[in-house]
Amino acid sequence: MYWEENLETMNEGALKEMQLKLVNQTLVKAAEAPFYRNISGKKLRTLEEIRELPFTRKQDLRDHFPYGFLRTDLSEAVRLHSSSGTTGNPTVVFHTRADIENWTNQVARSMYMIGVRPGDVFQNTMGYGLFTGGLGFHYGAEKIGALTIPIGPGNSKRQIWFMQTFGTTVVHILPSYALRLYSIFEEMSVDPKKDTKLKSFIIGSEPHSEELRREIEDLFGVRAYNSYGLSEVCGPGVGFECSCQKGIHLWEDYYYVEIIDPETGEVLPDGEEGELVLTTLQREAMPLLRYRTGDLTRVLPGKCECGRVHKRIERIKGRADDMLIINGVNIFPIQIEETIMRTPGVGKNYLIEVKTENFMDKLYVKVEVDKEIFEGTLAALTGLQKKLTEELKAEITVTPTVQLVEPGTLPVWEGKAKRVQDLRSK
Amino acid sequence: MAYHLSIFVENRPGKLEKITKVLADNGINIRAISVASAGEFGVVKLLVNEGDRAFAALREQNITVSKRRILVILLPDSPGAMYDLLVVLSEKNINLEDCYGFVVERKKQAAVVIEAEKYPLAEGVLKEKGYKLLSDQELAAI
Ligand SMILES: [Zn+2]
Repeated sequence: MYWEENLETMNEGALKEMQLKLVNQTLVKAAEAPFYRNISGKKLRTLEEIRELPFTRKQDLRDHFPYGFLRTDLSEAVRLHSSSGTTGNPTVVFHTRADIENWTNQVARSMYMIGVRPGDVFQNTMGYGLFTGGLGFHYGAEKIGALTIPIGPGNSKRQIWFMQTFGTTVVHILPSYALRLYSIFEEMSVDPKKDTKLKSFIIGSEPHSEELRREIEDLFGVRAYNSYGLSEVCGPGVGFECSCQKGIHLWEDYYYVEIIDPETGEVLPDGEEGELVLTTLQREAMPLLRYRTGDLTRVLPGKCECGRVHKRIERIKGRADDMLIINGVNIFPIQIEETIMRTPGVGKNYLIEVKTENFMDKLYVKVEVDKEIFEGTLAALTGLQKKLTEELKAEITVTPTVQLVEPGTLPVWEGKAKRVQDLRSK
Repeated sequence: MAYHLSIFVENRPGKLEKITKVLADNGINIRAISVASAGEFGVVKLLVNEGDRAFAALREQNITVSKRRILVILLPDSPGAMYDLLVVLSEKNINLEDCYGFVVERKKQAAVVIEAEKYPLAEGVLKEKGYKLLSDQELAAI
């Protein structure tokens, strides 16, 4: 059941010792990159001493575009990935051959953990190209020996045709796209539970709620696993859920994990919520020290039943920069999504709008009426509107205006769902 | 047993138009229409000559529609007829969830559509008092 039993189940002391050795090797390597020049000669005696190092931020990557973080000769790099920034410099990440191999190994270990084996058929609906989601999983699946279909995103009918024709068992998919795909299954009168061999979905790349995961599992009759990654440190495969589905194991032989208070930068103890900070331990081309991911989560205390030593984080609550501040109250879109998901009578699509009215912030939540449940009375509709308003208020402490709209009228995105529109006057 | 169609609509220009266009395109006659609004949305009740076909056509267009059971009562088109009917119902403590009317034959006969919470009781009471209730078939034939 383990891809690399020794590395996955070693004892905590041995892991810490290994991490300290790897951090110090990384410091030596990092000092060869222009950006980290002034850490030259730094050596840690304990892992905690890493706190003496400054953070690295996404803005640093942009400011030192394109080669400020590259420590090797450009000729040693075999791959470049880049963010699709439309304004300013993009974030560019270089990989040596060893980096690609390590990345592939992390993905293979992750997929093996949820039961992917030779003989499985893996349909990768993530974008290929500069985005790391597609290629990262592609190489990991091939390394395991699964038949890999690099279909990429979109064209839902063709996706379903491939699933049926080639007996797809494992799918890598955006959670928002999974819902859209299900509606196409319905349109084509294909029942994913009976008419396909689907058994596992890998979902990631956008924060989603536990409710949404269970919904996807019920609709398709699969188990859905949460995947975590970011292109700055490689891509997908940084962390993955095991079959216990109780948190995401971060591969600590590849990353040193810290959770910090995003305001003060202070390191928080396990169990407390804050921003995830990662130090790469095996990157060759572009080591990153104390990189602020912007992702909010917490380390789950205690050991996982699966026997792996690697720390688990809770599903990502949101990005520090996704947080909405409404009349001084912090709100994450995921809280609104969770509430909508558990309220019967409304659909799964939603739109959040924030506007300025009379110098105050005003929150609007638009949801679609579920036409299968509509019973035809105005009283039931006003009751539904009132119930959702109250549930949301209980969750976020701000009273929103809930607007019921007709089914199929809210935009559906095939890619990353953007469900928040901040229309406040700046 | 008769029923009408209940449709969820947003209160925006063109929404009602879209619904009536679906019916027009399918050659369906509207006998009566009533609109109840709660600010930004409302419910439209439609009494049509071919309920099943209208229901299917509207669903096909992704319109949120459901069928609601109704009583359609024939009344003489004369003063006091509606009052008499309401007295009969209120004496039995029967609440009306919805109520609207239309003229069947000018100056002679009108019909009242009601959605009652105690449907079988309302039907029994009205029949006992000699009211004529229209069936689906009779409604279609008007
Ligand atoms: Zn585990």
